[in-house]
Amino acid sequence: MSAPTARRVEPAAEVPVSVTVNGHAVEAVVPARQLLADFLREELRLTGTHVGCEQGICGACTINLDGEPVRSCIMLAAQVDGSSITTVEGLASEGLSPLQQAFKDNHGLQCGFCTPGFLMTLSTVDPDEYPGEDGIREAISGNLCRCTGYGGILQAVRTAWNRIEDG
Amino acid sequence: MANTFELGARPVYTGTHVTRRQDDALLSGQGTYVADLRRDGMAEIAVVRSTVAHGRITAIRTAEAAAVDGVIAVITAADLTDVSPYPNFASAYTQTPGTFPLARDKVRYVGSPVAVVLAEDRYIAEDAAELVEVDYEELPAVTSLEDALEPDSPRLFEDWPNNRLLDLQPDDSEVAAILASSRVFRRRYKMGRHTAMPMETRASLAEVRDGRLHLWCTNQHAHIARTTLSYVLPVAERDIRVAIPYVGGGFGLKQHLYPEDVLASWLALRHDRPVRFVEDRAEHMIAAAHARDHMMDIEAAIDDDGRILAMRVQVVQDLGSAEIFPGAWCPALTTAAHMTGPYDIRHCVVSVAAVATNKTPGGSYRGFGVPEAVFAVERFIDELAGEVGVDRLDLRRSMLLQPEDLPYTTASGALLDSGSFAESFEKAVELGEAAYRRAEAQHGAESQSRVGVGYAVLFEGVSPTHHGASAHWAGHESCSIEIQPDGGVRVASGVTDQGQGTTTFVATLAADALGVPIETVHVELADSDATPYGLGAFGSRQAVVGGGALLIAAGEVRDKVKRIAAHMLEASTDDLVIEAGRVHVAGSPEPAVTMAEVATRAVIRTIDLPPGMEPGLEATARYEPELMEHVPDEKGRINANAAYANAAHAAVIRVDVGTGEIEILDYILAHDCGRVINPPIVDGQIWGGVAQGVGGTLYEDLCFNDLGQPQTAFMDYLVPSAIEMPELVIEHFESPSPNTPLGIKGVGEGGTVGPAAAIGNALAHALAEFEPQIRETPLSPAVVRAMIGDQQT
Repeated sequence: MSAPTARRVEPAAEVPVSVTVNGHAVEAVVPARQLLADFLREELRLTGTHVGCEQGICGACTINLDGEPVRSCIMLAAQVDGSSITTVEGLASEGLSPLQQAFKDNHGLQCGFCTPGFLMTLSTVDPDEYPGEDGIREAISGNLCRCTGYGGILQAVRTAWNRIEDG
Repeated sequence: MANTFELGARPVYTGTHVTRRQDDALLSGQGTYVADLRRDGMAEIAVVRSTVAHGRITAIRTAEAAAVDGVIAVITAADLTDVSPYPNFASAYTQTPGTFPLARDKVRYVGSPVAVVLAEDRYIAEDAAELVEVDYEELPAVTSLEDALEPDSPRLFEDWPNNRLLDLQPDDSEVAAILASSRVFRRRYKMGRHTAMPMETRASLAEVRDGRLHLWCTNQHAHIARTTLSYVLPVAERDIRVAIPYVGGGFGLKQHLYPEDVLASWLALRHDRPVRFVEDRAEHMIAAAHARDHMMDIEAAIDDDGRILAMRVQVVQDLGSAEIFPGAWCPALTTAAHMTGPYDIRHCVVSVAAVATNKTPGGSYRGFGVPEAVFAVERFIDELAGEVGVDRLDLRRSMLLQPEDLPYTTASGALLDSGSFAESFEKAVELGEAAYRRAEAQHGAESQSRVGVGYAVLFEGVSPTHHGASAHWAGHESCSIEIQPDGGVRVASGVTDQGQGTTTFVATLAADALGVPIETVHVELADSDATPYGLGAFGSRQAVVGGGALLIAAGEVRDKVKRIAAHMLEASTDDLVIEAGRVHVAGSPEPAVTMAEVATRAVIRTIDLPPGMEPGLEATARYEPELMEHVPDEKGRINANAAYANAAHAAVIRVDVGTGEIEILDYILAHDCGRVINPPIVDGQIWGGVAQGVGGTLYEDLCFNDLGQPQTAFMDYLVPSAIEMPELVIEHFESPSPNTPLGIKGVGEGGTVGPAAAIGNALAHALAEFEPQIRETPLSPAVVRAMIGDQQT
């Protein structure tokens, strides 16, 4: 038997990226294949962006990219050059935002793993485009939660969006 | 001295909405989960997993992978010469799978760990893992419990006589005699394979510090994990620390100490580098515990009115490959213990088989055998009512336990010491019938729609012994309380928090039991270096046993506070109360001494203590429920739980006869978990539990083909979203247990156990004209559409 030949995996090319993250300018050189979620979590240490599936299904990794809710697990870091990103860490400059406070007051979270994704989705949508009770459910239908059964989350959004019905 | 389970003079927090102390961190992205941890010099692993369901490993070639830049090591089972298989403490009545962290000679499921790559990061580790080549001599796969029961079924374990890990056949002569002389009704039910699917996958980070192994992991038990590591690894238990940071949901799946926890630890020890494992979701689908996959065969002797006189049941659980620790047969035993439901059925004998198949190992999942039992029993009663021609609600009423029947010991030995079986049922019926009438009014005229209402009434054992699962640990929990010189309180307990609010209930009970502001209570959980030995999270137990241990410890500390304060105030101990951190004579707030003054005297100015009193202001207590049994009697009966919660579920559904889709219009749940500590947290547990029950009933299905290849990716595994989840109506009953601290029962699983039965019965009601056979879950649109067939009007 001959000695095995080492098959080398080609070193990844690197790509320079200029991006604004939570209001701060970031200049970085990233591996071309690095996922945006991994760049945020491992390089910038913004670990509030959680990775639940790496397939774009669960919504836990949702961030605000130039005003749109985006799944950072199915996007490359190299793609965000020139963009502006907000993560859950950037939602409030001090204390909790009204939306975050509504989650706290209405027991809208249990384990908290999916919570940043819900907050980021909700922070990018216009409530007027999601009218009524069905609208709330539709707005969060791309985010999965396994703990709450959505009861506390729905109540938090009703509160934040001033949709609590009397009686 | 008898245990005292008292809150202080004036509890101010218990029973109210105390907001959770983790929420500020979790809402701002500051909660640190295992995958968020990094260490200097950290390496990461990727696991090479079996691609065949059943096969003998003939070769593993790792050299190419080992040569990749950035790869530190590639290991197989052959390298783990100093690792022991997981122990089996139940070998007196079970076969032993000999579970080992990496497959040794055979693989028994797709996903089984075969080799591990340790590399500078996960990207490199995954690259290299693809270069590991494994040759298998494939063997025929056993892919269903029916196949596994066949005498000539291929055997997963050559040293077992068949594929039955567990095979309990109790003496059924008494029931057989009743069946022989009575009208008999028989049905078979199955619950499909689904699982917890927490949003956070499994993760572990192992590091050697000062010669000791530190493991941060997602496990639900710091101490059981530590002890198990000491059994498997060549490390003394004193040199292991297991610490569990924020966990993104456990639901039972994270009860098991998985191979990857052991492998990360072993690699950290061997290479003296921190080693992190973060499971990806694709791995999770095939390598984290699956659950359910039960079959229940019921034969019942009935009288002319349909009342059940006696039952003979066979429960079979499909364990998958059974290579998991603790073992996974206990859900079948739990199913057996719940087969009478909350009914006065005097005779019930259950045989139990748990079989190995070439699928992902089954394990723990919220409900733990009870959803299976409730689905079978409650569907059986509806079908029985139809057979005999009696009303399904009246048939239940004729057998349901009434207040005057309590306490009641079921045929399988469960001591139902309290509960609201009949009352909760009538409330669910009242609300369910009203909701059904509304649904009829709204949808009755639609040719595409059928509406129906279904009910499930149930009891559920909570705070069980661990012995049924491990044949090793039992049922205690622990708590240490220390009052520090500034009057602040440190509470350390063996319970753990996966998001269910454990930390908050511990702070709540401690503040009330000691009479201090809750802000002054610091809670320490889930770190084996910082907390007394406890068993952690399983079986809706923590408020019961964790609460019990806490109240005992708090009682001791409170007594000593009063003795010291009495000396300081020159008052009688019996006259003193502690409120808001101040000790004074009841009814007269001045003079008073503060907790800080008392504690300072207890641990610093000890020269001023009453003569003869020992310094210190702390206590450690353990609580093991007195009536909980760990081993069944000679007839197989056991009171395996500290308490029993109860509930009645009502589901009102609309079925689209064109598509077979079920829409839940209303879901009503009348539940009783004894004394409530925090109402929103209780409601949150119920909502989350119902969502998981609904998911397993309608959407979630882990499928395998005949070769044992998993067929369900995460994309196909339909965790309910906010669109599918109905608004719940929750009605609270409160029947405190006379046998638990403060009358607390557990609530963690109650929502999960009823939906399959209630929705199944609602479907039978809605589709009555089609005479559907509803005996299996999941009830997917395809399954429902097939029931309707061509008969659609």
